[in-house]
Amino acid sequence: MTEVLKIDGLSAGYGPLRVIHDLDLVIWPGERLGIVGLNGHGKTTLIYAIAGLTGWQRGSILLNGEQIGRTRSQGAGRYTHQIVRKGLAIMPQGDEIFTGLTVEEHLDSGAFTREAWRDRKTRKERVLDLFEPLRKLMKTPVGRLSGGERRMVSIGRGLMTDAKLYLVDEPSLGLAPKLGQSVMEALLAIDLEDSAMFIAEQNVALLEGRVDRVIGMHAGKLKGEASTTLGIG
Amino acid sequence: MEIAQILSNAIIVAAIYGLIAVAVSITWSSLGLINLGYGFVFSFAGYWAWLTAQHLSEWPPLIAAAGILGGAVGGVIICLVVFIPLHDKPNFTTRGMIGTLAISLIGSQALLMQFGPRAKSLPELFGSWQVDVAGMALTSDKIGIVLCSALMLGVVVIWMKGSRRGLEIRAMMMNPHAASIVGIGIRSTGIYVMALTGAMAGLASVLLSQTYYIAPFSGLTPLIKGVSIALCGGLGSVQGAVIAAMMLGLTEAATSRFLGGQYVLITQFLVIIMILIVRPHGISGLLDKAREQ
Amino acid sequence: MTETQPGKLQPITWHNPLEPWGADQGNPELTSVAQPDAGDVWRANTAYKAKTYKVGRLKHYVIWSNHGRRLWRRWRWWPTRRNVLQIRGLYNRKTLKAEKKIQDRRPIYWAVCLALLAIGPFVFPASMYNTLLSAGTIFGVFAAINVCWTLILGTASIFTLASYAVVGVAAFVTTYLSMQWGLPWYTLPVGGAFIGLVMGGVIAIPALRLDGFYYALLTLGLNELCRVFFTTTKAFGSASGGLYGADSFIPDSWSPVAQSLLSYYSAFGLLLATLFLFRFINGKRLGRVLRMAPEKREAFAEACGVDYRRARIIIFVLTSAALGFIGGFYATLYRGTAFSIFSFDTVLLGLAMVTIGGIGKAEGAILGTLVVIFLDKVLIGLGPARLFLIGMIMLGVVLFTNNGYFGIKKQFNAWRDKKRGEWRSMRSEKGGEALPEEATERDNKDEVYFLRFDKMQRDFLKTLICPEIIEEHRRQPLGQHSAALERLLMYFRRAPMDDKYALQRNAETGRYKIIAFSGQRGVSPRVVEDREYDTIGDGYHAIFVRRVHDLMEA
Repeated sequence: MTEVLKIDGLSAGYGPLRVIHDLDLVIWPGERLGIVGLNGHGKTTLIYAIAGLTGWQRGSILLNGEQIGRTRSQGAGRYTHQIVRKGLAIMPQGDEIFTGLTVEEHLDSGAFTREAWRDRKTRKERVLDLFEPLRKLMKTPVGRLSGGERRMVSIGRGLMTDAKLYLVDEPSLGLAPKLGQSVMEALLAIDLEDSAMFIAEQNVALLEGRVDRVIGMHAGKLKGEASTTLGIG
Repeated sequence: MEIAQILSNAIIVAAIYGLIAVAVSITWSSLGLINLGYGFVFSFAGYWAWLTAQHLSEWPPLIAAAGILGGAVGGVIICLVVFIPLHDKPNFTTRGMIGTLAISLIGSQALLMQFGPRAKSLPELFGSWQVDVAGMALTSDKIGIVLCSALMLGVVVIWMKGSRRGLEIRAMMMNPHAASIVGIGIRSTGIYVMALTGAMAGLASVLLSQTYYIAPFSGLTPLIKGVSIALCGGLGSVQGAVIAAMMLGLTEAATSRFLGGQYVLITQFLVIIMILIVRPHGISGLLDKAREQ
Repeated sequence: MTETQPGKLQPITWHNPLEPWGADQGNPELTSVAQPDAGDVWRANTAYKAKTYKVGRLKHYVIWSNHGRRLWRRWRWWPTRRNVLQIRGLYNRKTLKAEKKIQDRRPIYWAVCLALLAIGPFVFPASMYNTLLSAGTIFGVFAAINVCWTLILGTASIFTLASYAVVGVAAFVTTYLSMQWGLPWYTLPVGGAFIGLVMGGVIAIPALRLDGFYYALLTLGLNELCRVFFTTTKAFGSASGGLYGADSFIPDSWSPVAQSLLSYYSAFGLLLATLFLFRFINGKRLGRVLRMAPEKREAFAEACGVDYRRARIIIFVLTSAALGFIGGFYATLYRGTAFSIFSFDTVLLGLAMVTIGGIGKAEGAILGTLVVIFLDKVLIGLGPARLFLIGMIMLGVVLFTNNGYFGIKKQFNAWRDKKRGEWRSMRSEKGGEALPEEATERDNKDEVYFLRFDKMQRDFLKTLICPEIIEEHRRQPLGQHSAALERLLMYFRRAPMDDKYALQRNAETGRYKIIAFSGQRGVSPRVVEDREYDTIGDGYHAIFVRRVHDLMEA
């Protein structure tokens, strides 16, 4: 069984700031991994480093055995689309959405591979089964949606392709606790099969006991492996 | 009768300049690049069409296709030389604009050196027949120009709405950062956009050469008019550009009818300035919030 | 084992001091395996690994000796209190001598360059005298225009492309007035300034509402509008290439050379006047107010009480008046104007001039003008390739520099700072050492140093481990060992109590098992492995192997 993600000695940062320090991480197929840490300890940067969006980075990142990390000190985001095409789905923090597109177009924009584009109808159905409230908003521009609905759209967009690894950044941030809870429920309801999910979250209570592993993140390093159920590796 | 004549002239002017305006508009909103190199693309495409007519055949669709292809190539050249090296550098907007101006300077000088200052003319693409509609004589080239540009605009709009690439371009207009997260490559999309908009400029060049000539600097006036229309319609909005093109075409036709040809630009600019003072972001410049981060 | 290997020390041989008295156990003599030099590890760990270059960031100031009594005496720009060249008096800490150093060398460069321009006509080569003199005149006028334009583009950050239009309108209208009403030459610049003021006021109205590039595109159209208006209006000589016939200050009775010299120096004087204008707008209150409100931070400046819009418009209108003045001057200098001043190529060339040197700096505008005018007017033999060349230079400057030639230094410094920051942050290493963030959080700094030392020690001990040592320990777990093995064992014994290995003897079978202490009082040790050992020596050796393994893993 190859690892979905194998990070070895990853360091990343922006200019003189080093946010991630020599980080090692392995994610196995079918695993849900929670990363817990306070603001400013590098959760988002870790996700951005995997996607190649940080100012500079070095270290090896293997996605399904394929090298996607590179030592680079410029061109943030220049290769992100290639990395994403290799099977990464990023559900970013906050409202990284296209305000003018309708919900339907928005979901379509997530289906960027040829196969995904071809059967986007069934995929959309699958997303709508998860996020029932979106069904009657399909023709509405995303700019008019509420915060929770936007988050659903942004997560649904990530689910439109067959990603190997889902990177979810702070799914409950800025949402009412009840909404955050339901978004998290939806994330947990997704059938992963042999892909994996990586959830960065500040609220430990939302993750505790419901994901396979919870790892703390502190000052750019991972702290401990509070393994709850799964003991692979 | 007279009103109908003015209207038909307005529509023809709007059809040609509207193409360039929409091209400028799409480039600005999806790439953030103010492309003032369309003047060069315009002449470049014109020369391609002319070369085709000279050496290959005078079959109209082939000439039009050569013009469109030439425009697309010109657009891609600008993209490769200016957009791709500069798009993530500081002061991109200013430097991009100056870079496209430099290309237009270089390109028109190169055309001048290659083909000389003498103007070239294309064969008539639409034949020379007339139709009388409601007592008004419509010449073939007028009908052809309007039909071709409407067709091109329609194809572009449908392509932008329906296809995957179009969706990518529209997504990049809204939020370039999120677009890269979704898996849209800024550089490859840039090439599509510039090829598409260059093709539009190329078609406009072929159409305009039915009434004017092809010369190294012939792209200047269409560029300035197109930019003004795009500005007026609100950068980044196709509908706005079409509305503005109609308004300015109407102004042009009405002015040349009632005041005389030399006042056309003056009235046009008065109209543009009025519109911009009332609506600083143009008629429907709703999208630029996303671009002016 | 006696020969010295590079990087390795001589093997240490231990002699049993008790041997002459007969030691029944233990070895009379023990030879250690060849030990690597511990200094190598030290040097490897403390070395500065980032690649360094011999590019300093020290500014090389010119330092003169000074008299101690005159340390604080300075020249000043009369009548202000401003210090000429910002000379600072100071005492050298090492030599204890009084010194003075120049902190602002720009006035020297300006003086040298302007002096070169002033003596230019006396050093021009005779073969190109006329070309250079007329090019110098054009340079003076265009440099003046570009300095004004820079004031609008840089200081006021209004991206206008209509500067040449203002100059042209002023020049045409004054020429026309001079021809119609016979105005004398000295009124033309003043009249031009008035026209420029009015035009600036009119053009400034959209600038209040439109931002950035909308305005740039609008002014591009405005320029075209002026061109069409003047070329099609009969009163302005639409048939000929321009309008000529204004009154000039250059007497017709003079010889051609004297006329050219007069126009050269009058253009030079115009340039000097514009530079003063630049200095008095950019360096005084208006310029400083606007430096507080750079682009994209206007809202913040506004919140601080800076009325940046008003300052921008004032600069715009004042500079437009100056441009009008230049237009009037142009009309009297050349007795009229050509339509080419409105052409798109002129705007492009002007933009090339401003960009090549760097937008926002007077020296940039002048350097760019010099380059472009030299290519365009002196190298006439190149034909259309001149403009091609100018375009290539412009493109290259835009592609490779952030802000023209005079921005290279800043760009290079920023690039170097970025690289330096990245290298510094990439440098910290893995394994044992505390990262800077952690080091600041620890109260006891001894721990930080201990971690650093411990890492080095482990690095060194790893180099000692070899099959010979393990074999030596297997033969004799207790007793006197060779120096290398002794060092290793000493390190293992010093380990903290938590998770330290120990042997547990099963009282019934008499066999040994490896356990690990918990390190906490009252918490029983855990069993490490189920394997049992027959003798205590085997057990000792098993623990040793386990620790060596742990050491190599860590």
